[in-house]
Amino acid sequence: MNNIEFTLENPHVSSSPHARTEVTTRRLMTDVCIAMLPALAWGVYHFGLYSLYVTVATVAACVLSEYVFEYFMGKPITVKDMSAVVTGMILALNMPPEIPIWIPVLGGIFAIIVVKQLYGGLGQNFMNPALAARCFLLISFAKKMTDFSVESMPWATVTPDGVSGATPLALIKAGGEVDLTALLVGNIPGTIGEVSVIALLIGAAYLLWRKVITLRIPLSYILTVLVFTALFGGRGFDVYYLLCEICAGGLIFGAFFMATDYVTGPLTPNGQIVYGVVLGILTGLFRLFGGSAEGVSYAIILGNVLCPLIEKYTVPTAFGKGKYLKSKAKSAESKLNKMVVVKTFIITLVSGVLLGGAYVITKEPIAEANRAALYAAYEELVPGAAEYKDMTENKELSDAVADTNNTLTQSGVYGDVTVNNLVTAVDESGNIMGYIADVTDHEGYGGDIEITVGYIADESGELKNTGISFLSIAETAGLGMNAQNPEFKDQFTGKPAMADGSPAVLSVTKSGSAGENEINAMSGATITSDAVTNAVNAANMAVSAVEGGNE
Amino acid sequence: MSKATFKGGAHPYEGKSLSENAEISLLDLPGEYVFPMSQHIGAPAKPCVNVGDNVLAGQKIGEAQGFISADVISSVSGTVKKIEPRMQTGGQPQMSVVVESDGRFETVPGVGEERSAADLSKEEIRDLVKAAGITGMGGAGFPTYVKLMPKDDEAIDYFIANGSECEPYLTSDYRLMMEEGEKIIGGLKICLKLFPNAKGIIAIEDNKPKAIEHMTKLCAGEKRIEVKALKTKYPEGGERQLINAVTGRYINSSLLPADAGAIVDNVATLIAIYDAVVLNTPLMQKVITVTGDAVKNPSNVKVRIGSSYKDILQAVGGLKTEARKLICGGPMMGQALFDLNVPVTKPSSALCAFAHDEVEENPTTPCIRCARCVDACPEFLVPPMMVRAATHGDLEGFEALNGMECMECGTCSYVCPARRPLTQIFKQARKMVMNKRRTEAAEKRQRDELERIAKEAGEAAKKAALEELYEASKKATAKALK
Repeated sequence: MNNIEFTLENPHVSSSPHARTEVTTRRLMTDVCIAMLPALAWGVYHFGLYSLYVTVATVAACVLSEYVFEYFMGKPITVKDMSAVVTGMILALNMPPEIPIWIPVLGGIFAIIVVKQLYGGLGQNFMNPALAARCFLLISFAKKMTDFSVESMPWATVTPDGVSGATPLALIKAGGEVDLTALLVGNIPGTIGEVSVIALLIGAAYLLWRKVITLRIPLSYILTVLVFTALFGGRGFDVYYLLCEICAGGLIFGAFFMATDYVTGPLTPNGQIVYGVVLGILTGLFRLFGGSAEGVSYAIILGNVLCPLIEKYTVPTAFGKGKYLKSKAKSAESKLNKMVVVKTFIITLVSGVLLGGAYVITKEPIAEANRAALYAAYEELVPGAAEYKDMTENKELSDAVADTNNTLTQSGVYGDVTVNNLVTAVDESGNIMGYIADVTDHEGYGGDIEITVGYIADESGELKNTGISFLSIAETAGLGMNAQNPEFKDQFTGKPAMADGSPAVLSVTKSGSAGENEINAMSGATITSDAVTNAVNAANMAVSAVEGGNE
Repeated sequence: MSKATFKGGAHPYEGKSLSENAEISLLDLPGEYVFPMSQHIGAPAKPCVNVGDNVLAGQKIGEAQGFISADVISSVSGTVKKIEPRMQTGGQPQMSVVVESDGRFETVPGVGEERSAADLSKEEIRDLVKAAGITGMGGAGFPTYVKLMPKDDEAIDYFIANGSECEPYLTSDYRLMMEEGEKIIGGLKICLKLFPNAKGIIAIEDNKPKAIEHMTKLCAGEKRIEVKALKTKYPEGGERQLINAVTGRYINSSLLPADAGAIVDNVATLIAIYDAVVLNTPLMQKVITVTGDAVKNPSNVKVRIGSSYKDILQAVGGLKTEARKLICGGPMMGQALFDLNVPVTKPSSALCAFAHDEVEENPTTPCIRCARCVDACPEFLVPPMMVRAATHGDLEGFEALNGMECMECGTCSYVCPARRPLTQIFKQARKMVMNKRRTEAAEKRQRDELERIAKEAGEAAKKAALEELYEASKKATAKALK
């Protein structure tokens, strides 16, 4: 025996394996952050330095709230794993470029504390924290979160009609055209990180190269949106249009950076494909048939919730079990994968066709019903007319509406109010019996109030208000909703449209004893009273524009 | 053409450069040799010598019990000192025969006498393999003669020599291919004699290009043997994965490779078969790799089965720095040792000593559901779901998720970025399921036995009653006749 000294003081014992890969949670999260840098860099270059402040503040809010929460709950501090940084960056890149900084900061706190930590921290949240926070902010601060206008930015490249800050998707939905090159480069309005497809794809390529993500979710997601849009977008296989749909609306950002979130996506390989297809269908539905032009965030959040179900039904067949047995096994495996894809595709197709069919079938009846309701309102205000002609049939009327809207926006005397339509009621011999104006006041307590106002000339030839009727109103029940009661709305009946050759102006009084040109306010609902009165004043203005022109 | 492989798996740091060029050196150590009676899968052998007996190298000291079992052969000459439970690599003591070597390594007569395999019948070959106490040398230790006895010899169309050596750091199979390649081919030819329709495939991972080249050269003239290069990936050498990579066939845990028309034997096992059949030498020696960054001279040594790891390590030069982790076997499937004073057994392959323990240095963090384990699992399982079932004690759920298909290869734990002890959890859950199955089987046996007794008792009572009735009527008839 030789005298080699043994130094076996304290060997550590553990279950095999005794080796660990160098890939850690922290490295994966850092890679995701690195992959978002090109998009962030473009955002800063494109929208200005303010975007960087927004991002830094959001990330800081996320990291700090994680630290503070864990510190006070006596949990181990995990900010070093970089997951809060990822959440902060995703959230920030989803913000409009000129958002007041406190909004994303609030979102960051919500994301980390409410969505992530309260459910048990990293790995336990059932929704993507950044997206849940974005949707929370969208609901809470709808206007600020959807205002993509940037003061110093002329968006001439994509918005020839000059609608400032409308996102390309909104434009496409409204029937406009967008420039694909601008979309690829990112020369468009939108959130900080979603605009440049090229920058995003560079990041995505990095993630794929580092094997942080696989193509299963992004590819099935994007392809499904493509197929769905081709089927139901109404423009068929118009390649340019389809490419625009894919490049716009944060789909690339969502597919590669948000849908691939580990915690909230399925574990199983086939489940990931199904998940991508589900996201694609939901996004397509929201985009084409929903109220908003954008749908990626809501689609992913809904997909997150469906994830356990998807997982449950996509557990892979174990090696050597069932269909894999013996020699034909290899082809069985690929067939199985194909089958899943084919099945999900068929399900997508069928549900899509059903939804699209339902939409097409119900579209006409719904429009018909709306028209009937409108005509009933006209009939009530100016009865006995043979025909109602609106501004689409009469240039004089449309000019009057345009003039009035111009004056209204420029002067701002009646606040944010728009004349939608002006209708003439014509008798059998073609004589004008009266007018109906359709006006929306955007400053109701509960949002828009749309009313129609009727006018008939009396014996002296003076146009008098025949009453108002509400097309849409969503005010507080018991207060603002009382506008529909005769005590309030009948006050307008008989008021003249013009006084001394110019539009008559009504004002609201709280005295309770209204004078000649005054309207008694509803108690407790001054805002609604003002809104309705302003709408009537605008109607007066529109009618005067036609009538004045006639004289 | 892409190299043949299976789906999933991982590629851990190979670490083979440490010892791959160290030629096999012979190590005949003096002192005490320990022969556990269970070095294989199946029933433990029964000691067939007594304390104080003199034994020779090559003498049977443990008798196989039952069909799936294997004889234990002494590798040294000397005196049986004790028959008592001794510590094993797994940490549990096991009944062992302890032989004090006399240092002469005297063999039983006839050992080493060459004979021609061509003259032997299939039965003779199988008997020789059985008598030599050969078990799989790759790790599991399945008795080789059982493997060589499938239901239908004709149905075997692949006989695979496993030279993939996918376990990191291990180089013993590589050295054997480089130095004793002729014996491997000899062993393979003996096996092919048993299976007339089989094709011999020597499967080697492509991180051993020299071995591929060498073996290809050696089997140049052989019509029934070819070398197949496999992609370097862990666990390429797993039996089911290897069959899949070579033949494209799939088998599960309840099937035998023979069910897919394939038989797999490690290259070291083939050498043992050659030794047993041609050289009349039972399994007494084993090449193991002594390696790791804490080892002074990483080496490949041919040692006698039963030697202690401690003596082997000392004999090759010991450690150069403190070893934080000692592993019997490789880093992926080997067992951590807290004491080196355990014997080398038939499936032993290596002793690794590392200055750092990666497990200890990578504390567990929460699962982020990244699904890397799902993609890596060579058995296509979903580890996170299995963990959920196992940690909630839901054994049915664990079985429903095919938890019993897990072969504990460790790939999931290796790839886990959150360093979850997945494999460990599965090992425990699998043990619990197996215990449950055993308990249930025992309970069923007991119940059946009780039912049988009750039935018999009932029948006996019925019989007795009938007897009584018969007797009574007989008496009554006799009385009436009177």
